[in-house]
Amino acid sequence: MSEDHPSLGHDCKEVLERAQVFLDGELLEESERLEIQEHLERCGPCYKRYGLEREVKVLIARLRGAQPCPRELRSRIQELIDRS
Amino acid sequence: MAEQPADLTEQDKRRFQENALPLLDSLYGAALRMTRNPADAEDLVQETMLRAYRAFRSFEPGTNLKAWLFRILTNAYINTYRKRQREPRKVSSDEVEEFDLYQALKDHDPQWDETPENIVLDALVDSDIIEAIDELPEQFRMAVILSDIEGFSYAEMADIMGVPMGTVMSRLHRGRKALQERLWDKARERGIVKGPREGSVRR
Ligand SMILES: [Zn+2]
Repeated sequence: MSEDHPSLGHDCKEVLERAQVFLDGELLEESERLEIQEHLERCGPCYKRYGLEREVKVLIARLRGAQPCPRELRSRIQELIDRS
Repeated sequence: MAEQPADLTEQDKRRFQENALPLLDSLYGAALRMTRNPADAEDLVQETMLRAYRAFRSFEPGTNLKAWLFRILTNAYINTYRKRQREPRKVSSDEVEEFDLYQALKDHDPQWDETPENIVLDALVDSDIIEAIDELPEQFRMAVILSDIEGFSYAEMADIMGVPMGTVMSRLHRGRKALQERLWDKARERGIVKGPREGSVRR
């Protein structure tokens, strides 16, 4: 495992930026996806950084629905629309 | 206050109630992270829903209602609430070097990755994450909220924030780096790690 893998025509930084796009569920060209995958398989630090990105993303997603709309606000809005 | 707009039918009204009201939890959660205070978040959500209701005719059925509501929310926030709020220190975006969580963890403990658990991230609680997000500069904060909490796609975010996709991606990338740096600071403040001085771990 090397620190860098410039033979793919990407430097690690760029691979990691593209890997983030992949992690976000955005579509990538198949060839690009394979290039990223190949780099991650060969480059230990990138593989671990990618894993960390994923972990942090999961951590943040914990806030989804963590603070629901207060009941009074919901009824107030409902009422404003009902009455209109 | 909310007079029924002349061109809205009873059916439109029902459609709004059935489809928009269930999104209140998402809208409120995002409003809270945008305004960082419950009173403003409540006002913002109420204003958003009333604006959306009045404009409901312009919503094209079958398209993405959640993204449409979030665009109204974001505009309302920018136009009304942002001016009132003090902003966290500005990050001058170009020259700031990126925080590297991997390097920070490695410096903290060279063996950090030999167990499946992440001793640092796993120890953070929701309030740490909330504080870290709240400290982000606004544009980064919005990007992180929309993507990592609400799960919007880049195209939806571009539409909601009114910026090109490339801008979305760069705000998201930089926002996450800035967020990771703050999460690391939280871990240090709470004594989870005895990390190096703030800001010294960069690549
Ligand atoms: Zn690499």
